[in-house]
Amino acid sequence: MKNIYSFVSLLAIYLAFPGANQAQTPTDDLFMNQRESCIALIYENSWFDEYWEGASLRANGSISTVKRHTAIPMIAIGLFDQLNLIVAAPYVQTASTEPNGGKFIGAEGFQDLSLFLKGSVLNRQAGPGEVALLATAGFSTPMTNYLADYMPYSIGLGANEFNLRGILQYKLDNGVYARATLAYLFRGQAKAERDYYYNNGSYYSHWMDVPSAWNFQAVAGAWLLADILKVEASYTGLKATSGDDIRAYAAPQPTNKISLGQAGILAQCYLKKPKGLGGLAYFSQTLHGRNMGKASIFGAGLTYQFRI
Amino acid sequence: MKNITISSLLTLCIGLCALFLASSCEKDIPTQADYSDYVFSKPDENGGSWKPILLTGPEQIAVPAPEDVSSNGYQEELAALKAAASGLTGDQMQAVGYWSNNPILRWSEIALELVAKYNLIPGPNSDGSYTLPDPANPGNIPNFPFAHPPYAVRALAYLSVAQFDGLITAWHYKYQYNRPAPGQVDPSIPVAYVDNGLPSYPSDGAVIAAASRDILSAMFPLEKEYLAAKAEEQMASLQWAGTNVDSDIAAGVHIGEEVAKAALARAANDGMKRAQCPKPVSDSLKAAAFARFGWQWDNLEAPPRPVGLTPLFGQVKMWNVPTVEEVRPPVPPAPGSAEYEENVRELKHFADNMTDEWRAIANFWQDGIGTYTPPGHWNRFAKEHAIKYRLNPLRTARVFAYLNMAMMDGGISCWDAKYYYHYPRPINTIPGFKTIAGTPNFPSYTSGHSVFSAAGAEVLTYVFPEEGSKFRDWALEAAISRVYGGIHWRFDAEVGTAQGIQVAEYTLEAARADGAD
Repeated sequence: MKNIYSFVSLLAIYLAFPGANQAQTPTDDLFMNQRESCIALIYENSWFDEYWEGASLRANGSISTVKRHTAIPMIAIGLFDQLNLIVAAPYVQTASTEPNGGKFIGAEGFQDLSLFLKGSVLNRQAGPGEVALLATAGFSTPMTNYLADYMPYSIGLGANEFNLRGILQYKLDNGVYARATLAYLFRGQAKAERDYYYNNGSYYSHWMDVPSAWNFQAVAGAWLLADILKVEASYTGLKATSGDDIRAYAAPQPTNKISLGQAGILAQCYLKKPKGLGGLAYFSQTLHGRNMGKASIFGAGLTYQFRI
Repeated sequence: MKNITISSLLTLCIGLCALFLASSCEKDIPTQADYSDYVFSKPDENGGSWKPILLTGPEQIAVPAPEDVSSNGYQEELAALKAAASGLTGDQMQAVGYWSNNPILRWSEIALELVAKYNLIPGPNSDGSYTLPDPANPGNIPNFPFAHPPYAVRALAYLSVAQFDGLITAWHYKYQYNRPAPGQVDPSIPVAYVDNGLPSYPSDGAVIAAASRDILSAMFPLEKEYLAAKAEEQMASLQWAGTNVDSDIAAGVHIGEEVAKAALARAANDGMKRAQCPKPVSDSLKAAAFARFGWQWDNLEAPPRPVGLTPLFGQVKMWNVPTVEEVRPPVPPAPGSAEYEENVRELKHFADNMTDEWRAIANFWQDGIGTYTPPGHWNRFAKEHAIKYRLNPLRTARVFAYLNMAMMDGGISCWDAKYYYHYPRPINTIPGFKTIAGTPNFPSYTSGHSVFSAAGAEVLTYVFPEEGSKFRDWALEAAISRVYGGIHWRFDAEVGTAQGIQVAEYTLEAARADGAD
């Protein structure tokens, strides 16, 4: 049943600062068989009224509460029984709440086109459960000429990203599971509209290095109600490997060294009727971070699975 | 089947990797101008006769005649120089290449970097109050200085005026004493830079090192050690390059230190200390404008800043304009007037129909918090053109000196208008108006970017006439960029441009009469 109706849950972690847009990370163990396909539409709402300037948490009346609405259409296709392709194209809208001291206009538009390949490396019975090892490779690139150098309102990082991820899961036969993922996100450069910026020194260029980052996640969950409902709790971390800090009372920029830790819960259901329809909802709270908004994130969406 | 799948996965992974590498094309991002030592377009042998800015003449700084090259003292120095210039380490060679034979350009980059580093506006305290940087305790939070555009243009003006006067003095003694370069006395000395035939005493490089270090240390007191290390490296590189013996350098340092003292004596009493005035003074300026014109600008930040940026910068001593009142622009259109309403319509039009081009222009010229400011942007252009036209250090210093004096005078005139008219910003009077650029903490009329840029463009057009139309186009683009950004009225920009041109004319009059043309 779950082999047929499983859907790759694309847990989008759209954070307050776009720096952490770990968009569409296919971090679970689920797979679709060859010629199965799933489409999904997820709406996500995030907001923060405090952020970390370097390591210190602060509020800022110029930006007040920064809100971010995201619509994420995506599709997953079973290329083979053990290889899935996932494509997503988020639309993002940002703005500050009123009143605010900065009077900045928000931004909106299509963000990055993401492609992931997800492959099963290992899947076998071990003791009272099943061990699964998966790998994903992903690539994302800006779809529009949105300006990354307009933080905290910019809708994305403006850089190409290539990521590799390993996923290890152990699932008991009763449906309880634990999963760990580790990913490295190779990030390229964002193009600013100015050709000078300060990043612990002068840079005479439109180009900004966007720091690459490690991304990890630990999940505990269970399948319930005869595999109709899946619930899980997670902790997600992100840690850039280089970059500078947001300077005192100054705007963030794509070169910032971002990190965060987030706790989240997720529920996902797969209806028997109408066949193929499912839904998901999640909530995450940023607990700690660096050069990031202390964001709360709520998402909900519908999924529909069908054969090609 | 499993094998096929895994091999397909691998193939696709490799394909994605290749796609990523191909599409990202990581560019090496430059942190400084890419140039090396060069042949000067001309040596300006008569440079010692040019009229200095602060000194009455080059002989105001006495430099004794050097020992003859045949003396034992000089021969010992020469032997020491030969040892210093031989067998350089990698770091030493790198320093020689970095500083080049026109270190003015590197000091310009250092100055702009410090401006960008210190161009941070103090944020509010938790109780909603604001603390100002304290020049007496620069290390307190917020650090001193806040290198905003008026602060930056003033620092750059004193830096380049000191360099210019110091080099006029050096040129005077160089051609008076005519001590040949060490490589000409002893051809076995390895000389790193092309020979431009300049007499070596006193060392122009040492003048630049000492004057730049002393001016910038006064302007950025927390950087004193960093600047001393930079100056030390630059002076050492003069020896590693085989360019100057000890006595050349000592005489240059003397000139640099003396000229810096003269510049800093002017700076100490130019009125800048009073520019960031207390709230009662600031409130009285606002009340006077309201009584006179019926409008006023207010800071809309949250929490509101009690005082705008440097309300009395308009009273700072100008370089080349006798009184600030004579260049004060006319009264702007009153809110509610037909011209004002037309300006409102235009701003809404730009905001509602923002194009990629307008946005790019607004951002390119924004030069806001954390950057080298608009005056810094024009210093960058000056540097790039000094390299392009292979100017010698003296002529390079002259470009920067007139450029920065004109821009500082422009800034003073602009600030006079800003606080005399106290005109509101678009966000003050257009309900619900939002911007893509940050609205600064000072009144709207006239636009600082427009005045700085027009003044800068006029001076650069004077020294690089072949490039003049480009500079003037840039100045116009910088001016309109503030309207695209939503933070200025068109009349702020247009009147500001005219104001910058008018103010620069005073500096150009001085330049045309200094003997360099």
